[in-house]
Amino acid sequence: MSFFNSIGPFVEAALVVGNFKTIVMQPKHVDVMEWVAFNMFDFYQNLNLFYGVLTECCTSQSCPAMAAGPQLNYTWINQDRKSVQLPAPTYIDYVMTWVQNLLDDENAFPTRSGRDFSPSFPSTIKHVYRQLLRVFAHLYYAHYPQILHLRSEPHFNSLFAHFLAFGKEYELLDVKDVKGAPNAPAGIGLLWERWKEMGILVS
Amino acid sequence: MQSSQSSSSVSSGQPSPTPVKEKGADYVYFDRTTAGFSADAIPRAKAAQLKLEHYYKIAVDAAIERNTRRVELERKLAADTAMSDERKQRQLLQLGKKESAFLRLKRTKLGLDDFRTVKVIGKGAFGEVRVVQKTDTGKIYAMKTLKKEEMLKKDQLAHVRAERDVLAESNSPWVVQLFYSFQDPTYLYLIMEFLPGGDLMTMLIKYDTFSEDVSRFYIAECVLAIEAVHKLGFIHRDIKPDNILIDKEGHIKLSDFGLSTGFHKQHDSSYYTRLLESANGVQSPTTAARNSVAVNAIHLTMSNKDTIATWKANRRKLAYSTVGTPDYIAPEIFLQQGYGNECDWWSLGAIMFECLVGYPPFCSESTHDTYQKIINWSNYLMFPDDVHLSHEAEDLIRRLITSHDRRLGVDQIKHHPFFYGVNWNIIRNIEAPFVPRLRSITDTSYFPTDELEQVPEQPSDGDSTGNKDLAFLGYTFKRFTISSNGF
Ligand SMILES: Nc1ncnc2c1ncn2[C@@H]1O[C@H](COP(=O)(O)OP(=O)(O)OP(=O)(O)O)[C@@H](O)[C@H]1O
Repeated sequence: MSFFNSIGPFVEAALVVGNFKTIVMQPKHVDVMEWVAFNMFDFYQNLNLFYGVLTECCTSQSCPAMAAGPQLNYTWINQDRKSVQLPAPTYIDYVMTWVQNLLDDENAFPTRSGRDFSPSFPSTIKHVYRQLLRVFAHLYYAHYPQILHLRSEPHFNSLFAHFLAFGKEYELLDVKDVKGAPNAPAGIGLLWERWKEMGILVS
Repeated sequence: MQSSQSSSSVSSGQPSPTPVKEKGADYVYFDRTTAGFSADAIPRAKAAQLKLEHYYKIAVDAAIERNTRRVELERKLAADTAMSDERKQRQLLQLGKKESAFLRLKRTKLGLDDFRTVKVIGKGAFGEVRVVQKTDTGKIYAMKTLKKEEMLKKDQLAHVRAERDVLAESNSPWVVQLFYSFQDPTYLYLIMEFLPGGDLMTMLIKYDTFSEDVSRFYIAECVLAIEAVHKLGFIHRDIKPDNILIDKEGHIKLSDFGLSTGFHKQHDSSYYTRLLESANGVQSPTTAARNSVAVNAIHLTMSNKDTIATWKANRRKLAYSTVGTPDYIAPEIFLQQGYGNECDWWSLGAIMFECLVGYPPFCSESTHDTYQKIINWSNYLMFPDDVHLSHEAEDLIRRLITSHDRRLGVDQIKHHPFFYGVNWNIIRNIEAPFVPRLRSITDTSYFPTDELEQVPEQPSDGDSTGNKDLAFLGYTFKRFTISSNGF
């Protein structure tokens, strides 16, 4: 069974019921950069938590490519600015390491008092968001059965729906990335449609 | 959703679910199995689920709390007709800044190198207490270090931490606030509010005794502090003058506890049992003899002054030792027959005795003897002739230092004639008998700093300083202070 025929009832399972507005909306008077940084930090930690459980299923044998749809493979841009195909575990490891380093980088994610966000912060965040989205997309496409076996789908669904709602609110999300190209649809595109119908995501 | 525990076909180590059975348009039959997973995948998945549940609970609560703070301020500002719009706007901006700083704090990893030691001010059983300054904000805190190695069991840590978090979060004016905690491989660090007035032990060493009026003030504040702790559902178990700290206005707060109490050897009941057994047994002729009536008599005639002098000379050393002083501990704690929060009122009785008389009621030259005297308290509780105590004071002490079933409870204590005239509702707002005179925010003149010269300025952290801990991750602990401007 692949993700496409299990999209049925399992994607409706949710830990968090209702709309994500309450926890996505920028709190009044609060600095938007601080709010976005705070949330991205948590998305990373939480995704890492679930990926940590799934790593044993995501090997270069099971996932020789970073796939998120039947015709959709993500490529990594290496240091020479060349786009390369990587096995999914390698790709994800690169993403997670890169994001962790950014989060620890005082220039990218300042934590000291009085230190401001750099003007490039919004673009950094967009990059981070896009890469994390790809990790979600791969896990849904390639490891959904395992998520079900571990009975984690209500949790994982809510985390991802929250992530999408957040991306939408702060314009971090490119619908193209969620749906894939017409000739190479992304598995998560189905989720997107379904959750919109269900009112979990407000369009 | 259907699930079935029946084993399904498993191929090549990967779980392969049974194919879909059609039963209505959307019906999917899926056999859940944990067959293809490693042994720790299941508990890890469960842990991840629990963490996420916790995360969302906190996220929703935080959103509600944040909203409440804003609405409250907006309402307050709207009601204030005297304030200019510009100032109102500034206040809202200020709130936003604080909220933003609070969010930032949650991403902040703290380590030793974020704090600069101003002075070593105290020593506890597991480490030292220092006045520190957070380098980026310049704010002053007290930092307590606890050497992990010397704490008894590791799994107690989680339990104890949870207890402490509740207390630290209580926001009670009677409990020292905890702001952050972090650790490195060697130490656990607690960053607390700094109380510049020192502690009651140091005051007692300095003044010897207090007048009844002064004692009444401190004991009354302790009554409220202990009551507050009990209301939160905790028993302190280790109330002693070293744990009663004085804030900059001269009022008391109980020092962070729960953390070390759980570790103290002296609170390990089997430790007591062993001690008592060895004391009751015949192994050592001296201890056996002390237990007999004949030597009790000798003990009574021996110069009490010498005992007291020795005890006083050792008082601080005892406070620094891992065994700690048993002087204030209730007998039922030693006896392992279970105890309730009455044990804290015994301790208060012992402290009150010390405030008025100059030494605690069962003080001895050795901790062994102190145990013995506490267990046989009715034979040893004596009020010296050369110290005048009012009838009310002596009566209250006798109703606290008594068997747990006869000990007064909090309401009876508050109504005791000794406290006649005390207004329990406003005591924290009246002027304290000793208000520390401080020259600066880092003034440490109320601490015995000269006795602590051998203690290194910086804790020598065994490993790297690069080893930082998320101040909040894994803790439910959060602290939002409206009064402090971020951290
Ligand atoms: N927040 C604080 N502000 C000022 N001084 C403090 C603070 N916390 C502790 N001290 C000083 O350090 C001394 C030792 O601290 P504390 O009693 O907490 O350590 P401890 O003896 O290890 O604790 P315990 O044995 O009760 O767990 C106190 O008696 C007090 O003088």
